[in-house]
Amino acid sequence: MAFESVNSKVVRAQISQQGAVLARRGAMLGYDGNVSFRPLAHAPGAGMITGESNKMMASEGSGSVLYGYRGLYVTVIVLTGDSLSVEADRILAHDASLQTSVEMIAQGGVRSAVRGAMTGQGLFTTRISGHGSVAVLSHGGTFPLQLSGQTVGVDPQAYVGHSGALQVDLKSSVGMRHLVGRGSGEAFQLHVSGHGTVYVQASEEKF
Amino acid sequence: MAVLIADKRVLHADLDGDSVRAANGSMVAYTGKVEFKYASGGGGFRAAMKRGVAGESISLMTCTGAGRVYLAQDAMDVTVVQLSNDRMTVESEHILAITDGLQLDVQFSGLRGMTTGKGVATTTVTGTGQCAIMSDGPLIALAVTPGQPLVVDPDVYVAGTGQTQMSIISGVSWRSVIGEDTGEHFSLRFEGQGTIYIQPAER
Repeated sequence: MAFESVNSKVVRAQISQQGAVLARRGAMLGYDGNVSFRPLAHAPGAGMITGESNKMMASEGSGSVLYGYRGLYVTVIVLTGDSLSVEADRILAHDASLQTSVEMIAQGGVRSAVRGAMTGQGLFTTRISGHGSVAVLSHGGTFPLQLSGQTVGVDPQAYVGHSGALQVDLKSSVGMRHLVGRGSGEAFQLHVSGHGTVYVQASEEKF
Repeated sequence: MAVLIADKRVLHADLDGDSVRAANGSMVAYTGKVEFKYASGGGGFRAAMKRGVAGESISLMTCTGAGRVYLAQDAMDVTVVQLSNDRMTVESEHILAITDGLQLDVQFSGLRGMTTGKGVATTTVTGTGQCAIMSDGPLIALAVTPGQPLVVDPDVYVAGTGQTQMSIISGVSWRSVIGEDTGEHFSLRFEGQGTIYIQPAER
């Protein structure tokens, strides 16, 4: 039930009785067949505390649905038993058979709290796992960086998500130069290391 | 020697112990060991004076080290232009990165800047090396040959190479005054021999 890319900004999902699709509310562009859309209720409170919630809807029935959102680029990531960490805002659609959970990024306690506050990224990300595909939104499209043991630095604003066994750490290199406005604009970086894939977008725009 | 490779909206800068200058804050990711430092526009005191007068706001950083730096800004398309002892004029905000062999200088663009509301300066890139320019949409190269002048909208003009003379054509007439204008008040006219790069979006 992989999503099919119509163009770089629209995906088509096949929906069957066994396979429903969860999508960002209002992201449906068109559909054929017999499909109904049902808003998903959140577990009360959970979204409020973590801030990591997004209004989702379920597309059920049989047919195909086109999804897209605000002209943003859509990247389809296929999961085969592994998991993907991504911000809830960036999820356009995913197979209903995938499990989602909200978790803290990096088990760093205070450090990760600082990171979330500094980068405006928040403390929580959504972890999607199982077998199926996820459509992820980005500004300018994403490119994957494969990691096998080495470390890459990523701009926090350009970071989209990651999958695999990766360690994400916030590094800051704030010096005197930044204080007087002569910084390189790269004061904060996410250092990602381990084995897996990081997804990076071609822009520093968050949404 | 650092190598710049454009991949749609992302520029790959492969560093081998040397450096490139890139637009401040344009790094989205990097591998290897790379340092980022603020760099002034270059050209010493005189250039700094000119920038101050012209209000030219190009702010660059130096990426030094060994590894690959991924550079991108606002999801704009990236094109790498190869210069060999050549000269190119670029709208300053469209420069994404330049390799070491190139010098930047500020040039007054005079009336054009004033009419288009973009400040009175453009940047000249001279020397041998690679210059990555970004555009809102894929960059279009248009040839200018003697006897074949080219006219473009000031809002889509990105860069130009070769020996071209620029002049401004005014489309203002009595129709504009009564509000029946076409929206094309000023145009840039290029004559001579060279290539003009435009983007498919108006700023």
